Amino acid sequence: MNTKPVVLLIEDEQQIRRFLRASLPDENYALIEAGSGLEALSKFDGNEVDLVLVDLGLPDIDGLEVISQLRKKSRVPIIVLSARGQEQTKIEALDRGADDYITKPFTIGELLARLRAALRRAGRASEPAEVHTFTLGDISVDLEGRLVRKKGEDVHLTPIEFGLLSSLLKRAGKVVTHNQLLKEVWGDEYMGETHYVRVYMAQLRAKLEDNPARPRFIMTEPGVGYRLKLQ
Amino acid sequence: MTSQLEQLKTHFVPRSKAGAYLRALLAVVACTLVCRLVQGHLELSNLIMIYLLGVVWCASRYGRGPSVLSSIVSVGAFDYFFVPPFYSFTVADSQYLLTFAVMLVIAVLISTLTARARELAFEGSQLAQQAEFERVRNLLLSSVSHDVRTPLATITGAASGLLASDRLQDMPRETELAAAIYEESGRLEAYVTNVLNMTRLQSGALPLNLQAQPLEEVVGAALARMEERLTQRTIVTELPSDLPLLNLDAVLMEQVFFNLLDNAAKYTNAGDTIWIKARADNGSVVVNVRDNGHGIKAEDSDRIFEKFFRSKDTQNSAFGAGLGLAICRAIIEAHGGKIWAETGDTTAGANLVFRLPAKPVSELKQHEH
Repeated sequence: MNTKPVVLLIEDEQQIRRFLRASLPDENYALIEAGSGLEALSKFDGNEVDLVLVDLGLPDIDGLEVISQLRKKSRVPIIVLSARGQEQTKIEALDRGADDYITKPFTIGELLARLRAALRRAGRASEPAEVHTFTLGDISVDLEGRLVRKKGEDVHLTPIEFGLLSSLLKRAGKVVTHNQLLKEVWGDEYMGETHYVRVYMAQLRAKLEDNPARPRFIMTEPGVGYRLKLQ
Repeated sequence: MTSQLEQLKTHFVPRSKAGAYLRALLAVVACTLVCRLVQGHLELSNLIMIYLLGVVWCASRYGRGPSVLSSIVSVGAFDYFFVPPFYSFTVADSQYLLTFAVMLVIAVLISTLTARARELAFEGSQLAQQAEFERVRNLLLSSVSHDVRTPLATITGAASGLLASDRLQDMPRETELAAAIYEESGRLEAYVTNVLNMTRLQSGALPLNLQAQPLEEVVGAALARMEERLTQRTIVTELPSDLPLLNLDAVLMEQVFFNLLDNAAKYTNAGDTIWIKARADNGSVVVNVRDNGHGIKAEDSDRIFEKFFRSKDTQNSAFGAGLGLAICRAIIEAHGGKIWAETGDTTAGANLVFRLPAKPVSELKQHEH
């Protein structure tokens, strides 16, 4: 990765583009803009893009289609710009290979946090050695040693709880859908049984969070899944 | 609505009642003339058929009164002109009483049937109108959703960019202005979301995506979304860990908690407390969101759930969109639940309570212990 990550912004709304252009600091990001899906696909081919921000409502081809096309040729991180109430579309975008989404209206702080998290994950994936230890506030996790400690005390997790935690940790900062968790922890035959994930996630929260009804780390994305919040 | 209904109904019948009766009489005159022409070629019983046609015509067009009149006059005319002795109302044969009775019954029957058919046609046209209305409304909704929310997203985002700027650190005045833009555009976006959800829920354009889940998930999500606004409040959550799963639309139920917390934040002061409690109760779960803020007047406790209702105290303040609790009620009721305000308590503050049916004990397979 170059010193300045190149961000391809695919958005047909002029004003949203204008505000993002002014908000992404010049010294940290290089911005390429596309107002339509086809323009985006050709600009993607002509540049070394490090991250894609895509709005789903494009004038020519569907934003979901753009995601599918990009995924055919690249593993570049893709973040979807979406509206509240489009949960099914968000899930569809994630299923097609988008890495994350951010719901409008969002603050520039939230957006920059998502960009950094996505770029960090992409950078980590190319590193030879994987990271196995994580710290979340007063919780420490050693994935390889299957060791979880909270306030210095060992926390006993069942295999399923541990599976959920490690799935979330591997994608820290990014949304993970119910079905992705079901597939990874339970297996394909449990697809659609989202209450399994919810019940075991509640158990995991009860063991890790001080107050499971006001979590600090395992955040719920209503209707979509979970996101492990990095401090 | 009533005037519209009247308008549509009169569409099917002559404007004035007198006109209808006159036309019924004219129909009988016409029948008599026709009978006169064919008299001699046809049997008496067939002449009755011609009068019968006239009665059916009147019944189908002019309603009960004129058709009954036409049946009486028809019998009279038939008797006077065609039944011996001619030109007299004396009925030689009592069987013509039966003719009269049959004509009367037919007049009433047909006019009733026609009135019913007319009502059905009216309902049909109303349904078609309703469908068209829904279509236009949904179009309008999606357009509002996009055309209002997109600029709002730009305003919120741009203001957040200003607030995050390092250069604003030493400029309290500018920071205040940017904060005002940021907060108010956020409030407007919340309002637009409520309006959209309300209209969609009411028109049935928002099907519920029900999934079994623990209540704490939606509570946690709403608290996280409200976090910035709740920094000055103490939040106490009491959700028993053995609370049954609920069949919820996560996005909508999160909106319920968001709206309740939004109200609680508006009507409390810094340092106040907000309690979120839930308990299982006889196959359902009772949730209450309580605070020790300004509270709700007993006389307002029902009306606060009405659309656009605002308490007199808050009429002139910037508080209250008048939709937050109405949308809560619509969502809770769509889930088969009920919401109300508890005002009997002597403690100060608002206490909003709702009851949701619990999902029957889950058949979740046990994989591990």
